[in-house]
Amino acid sequence: MKDILVKVTEAATQKFGAEYAEVRAQTLNKTSFTMKEGRVEAAKQGIENGVALRVLSKGAWGFASVGSLNAEVLVAAASDACAMARAASLRVKSPAKLAPVKAVEDHVEIKSKRVPSDISIEDKIKNASTINHVALTRDKRVKSCTIDYLDLAGKNYFGNSEGTYIEQDKLYVWSRITASAVQAGVYTYSREEIGSTAGYELFDVQTPEALGESVSKRAVNQLNAKTPKGGTFPVILGPNVVGVFVHEAFGHLAEADLALSGGVLADNMGKKIGSDQVTFYDDGTIDGAFGSFKYDDEGVPAKKTLLIKDGVVTGLMHNRETAQKFNAEPTGNARAEDFRVEPIIRMRNTYMAPRDRTFEELLEGVKFGYFFKSFRGGQANLDGTFQVGIQEAYEVVNGEVGEAVRNASISGSTLETLLKVDAVGKDFELSSGRCGKGQTAFIGDGGPHIRVSEVVVGGSA
Amino acid sequence: MEVLEKNVMLSLAEKAVQIAQKKGAAEAEAFVYEGTATNVGVERGQINKAERILDQGIGIRVQLNKAIGFAYTNIVDNTAATENAVAKAIAAASASKPDKDWKSLPSRKPYATPEGTFDSRIMELRSEDLVNLASRMLDAASSADKRAFPIEGGAGAGYVSNAVANSNGIAVFDRGTMIECSLAAIAKEKNTVTPVCFEFSAARDNNVAPEWVGKEAVRLAVSTLKTKRVETKTYKLIFTQFALQDLLYYTFINAVKADSVERNQSPFKDKLDAKVGSEALTIFDDGLYPGGLRTGIFDGEGVPHQKTPLLDKGMLRSFLYDNYTAKKQGKESTGNASRAGYLSTPGIEATNFHILPGTKSSDELLREVDDGLLVSYLQGAHSSNPVSGEFSVVATPAWRIRKGKIENSTRGVMLAGNIFELLKNVSAVGNNTRQMGQLVAPWLVVDNVKVIGK
Repeated sequence: MKDILVKVTEAATQKFGAEYAEVRAQTLNKTSFTMKEGRVEAAKQGIENGVALRVLSKGAWGFASVGSLNAEVLVAAASDACAMARAASLRVKSPAKLAPVKAVEDHVEIKSKRVPSDISIEDKIKNASTINHVALTRDKRVKSCTIDYLDLAGKNYFGNSEGTYIEQDKLYVWSRITASAVQAGVYTYSREEIGSTAGYELFDVQTPEALGESVSKRAVNQLNAKTPKGGTFPVILGPNVVGVFVHEAFGHLAEADLALSGGVLADNMGKKIGSDQVTFYDDGTIDGAFGSFKYDDEGVPAKKTLLIKDGVVTGLMHNRETAQKFNAEPTGNARAEDFRVEPIIRMRNTYMAPRDRTFEELLEGVKFGYFFKSFRGGQANLDGTFQVGIQEAYEVVNGEVGEAVRNASISGSTLETLLKVDAVGKDFELSSGRCGKGQTAFIGDGGPHIRVSEVVVGGSA
Repeated sequence: MEVLEKNVMLSLAEKAVQIAQKKGAAEAEAFVYEGTATNVGVERGQINKAERILDQGIGIRVQLNKAIGFAYTNIVDNTAATENAVAKAIAAASASKPDKDWKSLPSRKPYATPEGTFDSRIMELRSEDLVNLASRMLDAASSADKRAFPIEGGAGAGYVSNAVANSNGIAVFDRGTMIECSLAAIAKEKNTVTPVCFEFSAARDNNVAPEWVGKEAVRLAVSTLKTKRVETKTYKLIFTQFALQDLLYYTFINAVKADSVERNQSPFKDKLDAKVGSEALTIFDDGLYPGGLRTGIFDGEGVPHQKTPLLDKGMLRSFLYDNYTAKKQGKESTGNASRAGYLSTPGIEATNFHILPGTKSSDELLREVDDGLLVSYLQGAHSSNPVSGEFSVVATPAWRIRKGKIENSTRGVMLAGNIFELLKNVSAVGNNTRQMGQLVAPWLVVDNVKVIGK
C-alpha cells in the first residue's frame, strides 16, 4: 500500500503542481443491526474500501474521493483534486498554509481482549436480546425497546508529500438502546448509549442486564414525574450532563475553525471566562475511550489539550491550517468520518477536571433547584448560547434530591454560565456519544458532578 | 460528469439478485446507487476549497427462512465483490432470527413519472461554474452591509441515480439532479456578535438564486444586532419553514409513521379520522411533488411514490407505510421506504411533507399579530420527546412583532409546549410556500405558545 500512496502523492506534487498532497486509504468492515422488541430488522454486513486525496495548490484545497484502491484510478483522482484546487484558488484572498509537523512512519495496532470480528453475529444478537428482554419485562408499562448495534474494524493508511506514512487500525464498538413507556396518555422515552475503541469487552463492563434495567427504569420513572417550573434556578449537573455541556456549550467554540469564524472564544484567549473551579481538557490519549486515537487524519499525533485552566482560556483544538493561523502547535483534532469526506476539526474526549466536593456538599444550601442527571440532546450557537435537553431530572428541595421531573431543558450563555460554576465534585465519569458537524464523529465527554448557581430552566406549558 | 447508464445500473441490480437466488436466498433484492457531486466551499469570507466525490455501491437484502440479511459493498466493477456481498448477506440472514411477520418483498406496480427532477444543464457544470456561483453569492453578501461577515457556505451540484431489482419482478431505474448554494453569516458591531443566520437556495433544475442567498443571510444577521429581551408569557407566534422543519421532523413526522403507531410510539394510535390538528391544516406526503427535493419515481424498495393524505382540515387520514409494515397490517405500502444510499436497509420516512398553503401573504400574516414573535432558528428541537411531542427549545434569534410589524430581534427565548397541541392552535396559514429538506410549507401562525424570556 505504501508504494501506491507514495506514487500518488508524488504525481500530485511533481506532475500536477500541488504544493502539498496527502492520501488516505481505508479498508473497513462493518457489522450492524437494529432490534425492535426483540425482532431483528436485518443483520447487516458491509465493506467500504476507498481513498481520499487532498491537495493544496495556490493556497486553496482540492479534494477528491473514489471507491477504489487501484493506482491508476488514484493518479487520475489526484489530477482531478489538483484541478479542483486550481479552480478554487481563483478567488483566494488569504492562502491556506500548514503548521510544520515532524514526518513520522508508524504502524499502530489495536489489541482487543475480545475482537468483535471473532464474535459471531448470533452472539451479538443474543446479547442484544438480553438487553431487550430485561428492558421490556421489568415493568409492564415499558412498551417498546429499540437497540442499535454497530461494530467496525479496518485499517487507515495515510501518506503525505512530506514523508509521513502511517498504518493505523481502526476499531469501534457502539450501541444505543431506547425504550418508551406509556401510562394514562403520558408517553416517556429513555436512551442509553455506549461505545469503545478497545473491543467487545465493553459489554463485560456495561452488562446487558444493567443496560436494560437502566433504560427501562428511567422511562418508567418519568411517567409520574412533574414538569419543571420555567425560570432561573440553581442546578446540580451529573457527569453525563456536564459532558454534553462541555462538548456543546464550550467545546464547539474551542474548535479553532469555529473560533476563527466569529465564535466568542477568539477574542478571549488568555482571559478569564469561568470561575476558578473550571478546567477543561480535550484528550485523544485515553486508552479505549470512544474519542481516542493515536494519529489524526492529517498524520498528527493526538494530544491531551488543555482548553481552560482555573477559568482562563489556554488553548484551542487545531488542525494544521488553523494552528498556522494561531501560531500554535497542531493538536491532532483533524478527523474525517471516512474516505468520502475531508478531515475537519473535531473533538475527541472532552471533559471537565474533577475537584474536591462530595455530592452531598453540592446539594447543601440549595433551597429549591434541580438535579439534572442525564441528557437527551444538546446544541449551541457560535454566539455562545446553548440548549441542553434533559431526560432524567429531579427537584432539589432543602438540600435533598426530591421528586422526578420530565422534559426539562437548560439554556443560556456559555460564558455567563461558566462564571456561575461554584462547586465541582471529586467523582469522574466519561460517556460515549456521536457528534454531528456535517460528518459524524465518535466522541467521549464527561466530568464530575457540579453545581451552577443559576441557569435558565425551560419548563413545559 | 460521466455516469453509469441506465442499462448498466439495471443489469448490476438484476445480476446481484440472480446470484443471491442461485446461492439459496428465498427472496432477494438489490439496490444499486451512484452519486456524484462537485462542491465549492466558502470559509471565513472566501472560497477556499473544491471537491469531487464519486460514490457507488450495491446493497443486497435477502430472505432465508423468514430471516433477513443485508450486506453492501462499494465495489461495483467486479462480480467477485458482488458475490462476496451476497455471501455475507446470506450469512447474516442465517445468523439472524426468523420474523414470523415477514410476508414478501414488494411486487411490480404501475409507475407514475414525476416532473422536474433531472436537468442536463446541471450535469454539464464544471467546478469553475460553481466557483462563479459562489462568488456571486459572496459579492452580494459583502456589498450588502459591511457589518456582516459570511463565515461558511458554498455551492454544490450533484447527480444521484439508483436501480432496484428484486426476485418478485421489480426492475426499475431513476435518476435526478440537484443544485444548491448556502451561506451562514454573522454580524459584528462594537462588542456585539450576532448568532449565526443561515440562508440557502436549492433546486432540482439549474435554477438557484445566489445573490438572494447572499443578501438575505446578511440582512438577517444585521437585523439581530439590536436585541431586546422579552417577558415571560404566552404569545402568538409565526413559525417560518426553518422552525417547522426542526419541530415537525422529530415529532409529528415520526408520529405518522405506521411502525411508530404500531409500537405505541405515537399519540395517533386509534386516532384515524379523528381531529388532531387545526382546521387550517391540510397535509400530504407527496413523493411525486413536481420538482420536489425528495421527488422520484419509486421508493427505496422500488414501490411507486404516491400522494398520501395525512391531515385533511385537521382530520387524520392515513399513516406512512413501507412494504414490511404494510403487509404485516394487511395494507398497501405508501411508497415511504427510505434508504441512506446503498449503506442501509429501508426504513419509513416522509418524502415531500407538504402543508397546503392558505391565501395570506407574509405581510398579511404579520398584520394579524398584535404582540408576538417570528420564530425561525431553533436550538434543541432534536431533544424533543418524540413520543409525547413535548418540546423545550431555544429560539436564537427570534424577532418581536408588535402591531403587525417586526420591531426588533431577541435572543435566547425558550419556547415550551407540545407540538400536537400546537398544531391544534394554528390560526392561519400563509401562501409563501418554500421547500426545505422534506418540508414543503408556508409560514404558520400559532396562538398561545408559552415563551420563557428573561
